[in-house]
Amino acid sequence: MIKKYFKTIGVIALNTFRETIRDRILYSLIGFAALVIAAGLLAGSVSLGQDLRVIESFGLTAMLIFLLIITLFVGTQVVWREVERKTIYLTLTKPVTRDQFYLGKYFGICLTTATSALIMGAMFLLEIYFKAHIFSVPALFSIIWMIFEVWLLTALGLMLSTFTAPLSSAIYTFCLALIGHASTSIWQIAQKSPAALKYILDVIYYLFPNLEKFNLRNEVVYAINPPFSQVWTTVVYFIGYTALLLVLGLMAFRSDEF
Amino acid sequence: MNSKKDFLTSYGALTAIFLLAIIFLGQLNYDAWNAFAAPTIPTSLNNYIEPQPLSGNTAKIAALGENEFLANIYWLELIQYYGGGDPSGKYRKLPDLYNTITDLSPKFLTAYQNGLLVLPGEGFVDQAIALGKKGEENLPNSWEIPYYLGLDYHIYKKDYVAAAEEFTKASKLPGAPANTAYFAALYYSQTDQRKISYDLFLNIAQTSTDPYLKDRAQKYADHLAITFSLQDAITAFQNKYHRNPNSLQDLVDKKIINNIPVSPLGFPFNYDSKSGQISEGK
Repeated sequence: MIKKYFKTIGVIALNTFRETIRDRILYSLIGFAALVIAAGLLAGSVSLGQDLRVIESFGLTAMLIFLLIITLFVGTQVVWREVERKTIYLTLTKPVTRDQFYLGKYFGICLTTATSALIMGAMFLLEIYFKAHIFSVPALFSIIWMIFEVWLLTALGLMLSTFTAPLSSAIYTFCLALIGHASTSIWQIAQKSPAALKYILDVIYYLFPNLEKFNLRNEVVYAINPPFSQVWTTVVYFIGYTALLLVLGLMAFRSDEF
Repeated sequence: MNSKKDFLTSYGALTAIFLLAIIFLGQLNYDAWNAFAAPTIPTSLNNYIEPQPLSGNTAKIAALGENEFLANIYWLELIQYYGGGDPSGKYRKLPDLYNTITDLSPKFLTAYQNGLLVLPGEGFVDQAIALGKKGEENLPNSWEIPYYLGLDYHIYKKDYVAAAEEFTKASKLPGAPANTAYFAALYYSQTDQRKISYDLFLNIAQTSTDPYLKDRAQKYADHLAITFSLQDAITAFQNKYHRNPNSLQDLVDKKIINNIPVSPLGFPFNYDSKSGQISEGK
């Protein structure tokens, strides 16, 4: 019974993956990302011997930006498109529950973002190997953490897309991504703020996803691996927060009328 | 409909050639204007745009976690700025750029090294020293920063005690060149800290594996030991005759010492009869 339940989710996920991966815009985004990552070589060549740190920081930041675009572009449209085109009825008339449909869509998008990240990551790691003849383990860690980050944002975008239009959902997700990356600054400002403002900033800091937990890009430049205690707390945080967003999304999706 | 189609069939190629000619003439006119027309914007404004780096704290907030990325952007900007040349020759924004870069990337060693070399040459000596001190805090195990800072104290401040302290600090850090302690000792010997200098030279002579440094340090230690013994002889002379000797030869004549020693370094010993102090000449 459970096996069948998850098999259905798997089938929907695989179909969603096939559907999104065929999108030509995704190819152009990955192609453009490859160009930007490669452009790090040019920037590095005018950096007074700091090639590697420039290539690493430029490449990883470019990867994050393009993964965010892909997440916003794909994550906020997939469910909405099915509802808008009424193709969801075809699926739901079969022995498929709304939960299975929603989770299948989520894992399908995750598969797409992970594939994009792995393609870009492989190009990036090859570039570092070409430049410095090293295999950068911290860079690999950083890419894995980046995938976790976009998976969390996918859950967020998907949840928001259940009750808003795709554009609004994309804008909200983008804003929350910005807040998530400003979390360190928010915390620092909160420490120096008067009591009332501190309270508000503390709420923002603890409530919104702290995406700086997934940021290992600054450490890569100094070839620092994350400490083990941070690795597992980040994984637990990721699982907990993503599961929460999926549960909230499912609740909203169940009550949707279409 | 038919007449339009006929026109295009008959004159389509001709029309295309005519339009291409117009486009080409337009381009020629633009190129000529670009090359020969008087500039409409004062070129003095175009020549040079000074960078306006954010302050360290603002930059950290604006970076949204991508601190190293933004630091590298500023690093490239700094290279373009310094390499491009400042027409007014002031490079006013250099200290700000170095500060923002090292605020964003506190462990960016090359930025500190580069700043310690570039800033003083452009007249920003105090800013260079402040940058060096910040580097020492953020990279306490890097010998390069106190080493370069010591050079700045020596060359631009003529503060040999501070230079000697920085070189001593550098010499104790991993990877420091063997001559670092030697330089520290040299700086101390230039000041009234000759005892510290003597101890450092002796230590180098006993521990260094470099034969040249070992020999040179031993000679410096011997030279300083002679200076100390001459100073003791002067004190003995003062106690006996209640005046300063007129010259070092006076010490020999009054049988305080047997002869004027020769420095192993070949330096003469300068004596000031007014103060009764020995100083090393070179």
